[in-house]
Amino acid sequence: MGRLNRDTYVALFLLFACGVFFWATLQVEDMGYGTIGSEVWPQLILAVLFALTLGYLFQSLRKQQEQPLFEGGVRGFLRRYRNALWCYALFFLFLITLPWLGMLLGGILFVFLALTVLGERTPRAVGIHALIALGSITAMWAIFTFGLRVILPEGEVFSVL
Amino acid sequence: MLENLLAAFTAVFDITTLGFMLVGVTAGLIAGAIPGFTITMAVVLTLPFTFGMPAEQGLAVMLAVFVGGLSGGLMSGMLTGIPGTPSSVATTFDGFPMARKGRPGLALGIGVWSSFFGGLISAVLLVALAPQLARLGLEFGPWDYFSLVMFALTITASLAGDNMLKGLIAGALGLLAATIGEDDINGVARLNFGLDSLKQGFAFLPVLIGLFAFSQLLSDVEDPDRAKKALMTGATKAVKVEHRRAIGEVLTRWRNLVQSALIGLFTGILPGAGGSISNILAYDQAKKTSKEPEKFGTGVPDGIVASEAANNATAGGALIMMMALGIPGDIVTAIMLGALLIHDVVPSPSFIGDEPVLAYGIFVAFFLAHFMMIGMQAFCLRIFVLVTKVPMYTLAAVILAYCAIGVFALHNIVFDIWTLFWFGVIGYTMRVLGFPLAPMILGVVLGNIAEVNLSRALAISSDVTLFFTRPWSLFFVTIALFSAVFPWYQKHRGQQRWTLVFIPVLCMAVSPPLFMMEGITRPIVGGLLLVLGGYMLWRRWQGGWKLDAPIEHPAPVKET
Repeated sequence: MGRLNRDTYVALFLLFACGVFFWATLQVEDMGYGTIGSEVWPQLILAVLFALTLGYLFQSLRKQQEQPLFEGGVRGFLRRYRNALWCYALFFLFLITLPWLGMLLGGILFVFLALTVLGERTPRAVGIHALIALGSITAMWAIFTFGLRVILPEGEVFSVL
Repeated sequence: MLENLLAAFTAVFDITTLGFMLVGVTAGLIAGAIPGFTITMAVVLTLPFTFGMPAEQGLAVMLAVFVGGLSGGLMSGMLTGIPGTPSSVATTFDGFPMARKGRPGLALGIGVWSSFFGGLISAVLLVALAPQLARLGLEFGPWDYFSLVMFALTITASLAGDNMLKGLIAGALGLLAATIGEDDINGVARLNFGLDSLKQGFAFLPVLIGLFAFSQLLSDVEDPDRAKKALMTGATKAVKVEHRRAIGEVLTRWRNLVQSALIGLFTGILPGAGGSISNILAYDQAKKTSKEPEKFGTGVPDGIVASEAANNATAGGALIMMMALGIPGDIVTAIMLGALLIHDVVPSPSFIGDEPVLAYGIFVAFFLAHFMMIGMQAFCLRIFVLVTKVPMYTLAAVILAYCAIGVFALHNIVFDIWTLFWFGVIGYTMRVLGFPLAPMILGVVLGNIAEVNLSRALAISSDVTLFFTRPWSLFFVTIALFSAVFPWYQKHRGQQRWTLVFIPVLCMAVSPPLFMMEGITRPIVGGLLLVLGGYMLWRRWQGGWKLDAPIEHPAPVKET
């Protein structure tokens, strides 16, 4: 048997997820009232999803061509999706540091780093990135804070300053 | 009705609202013109700014962005040959050749005025049809509503792409995501895996923004080299629009204009089918009914009229469905539905009766936005030329941060930004793996409606055959089954003989539920459909079951 198709991996993952979610529906508290229990609707959806995924699995197994999970292995995957992965990593960092940096400083830092990672890294370009980050986030922060009266996360660093 | 219309006029013709709408139309026109920046994205970004506004004002601004976006796509399509949005793909078939022949001003003029007239036809029909459809919706019981939701999901999955199974799986995943957290009926937390933060479930809009906008932005910057280049590298310059000549060209083609607007409107009413489909359908139809079909694609005005009238009319159709039945016609109206929910307004068949000023305000704003679009087009053309010099990565980074700020403003909780992040990961992964997002988004939006109606139906009677014996429910179940087969019909049309009976059998199959309905009109329509189906079968039998040449759709259908 040759290598499995990418769709086969996805179908297997979905079947596993169906199992996990079905197990979770068994933990739903039965309050003893209501026409249908709270677990019935998710179980119905999971049954449909399970049937559809089985169809998808068979469809993928019948495919002639072999499409690996990642073209060019893990290195190829990292090369192809590096921009998206960087964006996720930076956004994750922005969220983790939000209690300390707040929306203004964290936002500026996120935009600056994202621009620098995705774009050119010459001294001139980095300078422009800093200006864009500062201008765009400060303007939006001001609109929300003063215009729309939304209290955005201040952050410990900002409150100390 | 007149009082409500007057009250709506007063609400919309407020100087602040007009000012915001003008900004909205401008933003929509520019966003629509930028390839890779969809109308949905523009509406999503507008949403946080509308939280603090009264409902009428907020929706008017979002509608302005929507209308502007639908018309903006034609600018880049005509001047560079790259459509700004999937809704204007067919516009480039004749718009770009006409512009290259030295008539860019006329091409733009025909596009702009076709959008305008198409939008106006759709606005008039919106005012006329939405209350009627809502009246019809009042007949719906929970069985009918549940079947309608199932139909909406099936048709969205079937229209979303090549792989119907992936579309249906995406729809089921959307329904599943909507079940996480406390359920509306019993108030019991479920599928939260012991996490307190998941007990309340996911807020609807961060999920939508994550699935659609976040994942779209990452797709736009996926290629590192393309992300660093300016949005358009070709020489783009602003041109003078030939308004007077264009109006004449459009109005002399009134038959094509009305036909295309009606195609757009009907496509908009179908859940999940947006402007990306209607512009191609209308173009195909205009070509078929033209006396000179061979000239299509060489720069004829008819091609531009068909595409642009249809895509603007689609918005009216989608709004009819949302306002009358509470079922969004496309992703943009799904977001508008979310905006209405923020203001504690729940669209349903009684929406127009319960909230007449808001409902008529939507009609008025939709109408007015088209006039603003005409006024702002020339100005936006200049800005568009400047915006095309910006590289995509700059827009993506800034918009990602704006998404976070906007989502936080929804409920003032950081958990919503985490929701945005995780659904951004899910959305992007699904895009990469070839799963359409529209069914999932509709699943998230409609999941709660489906569950509540299923529960109500079973509370009234435990007899599940009611889903197949009540006329409206049977009607929706029937068309859901046919829509599930539709992708195979589309794929094999003109190649396999069974496709010859698909449409006649569909006509005949929907007639029994229509016969079962009350009154005279619907049974008559049922009878006519039965006769039509029989006639089509007879014609095909007479023709010796000869297969027609398949119709080539020039572009794949993508989400707007």
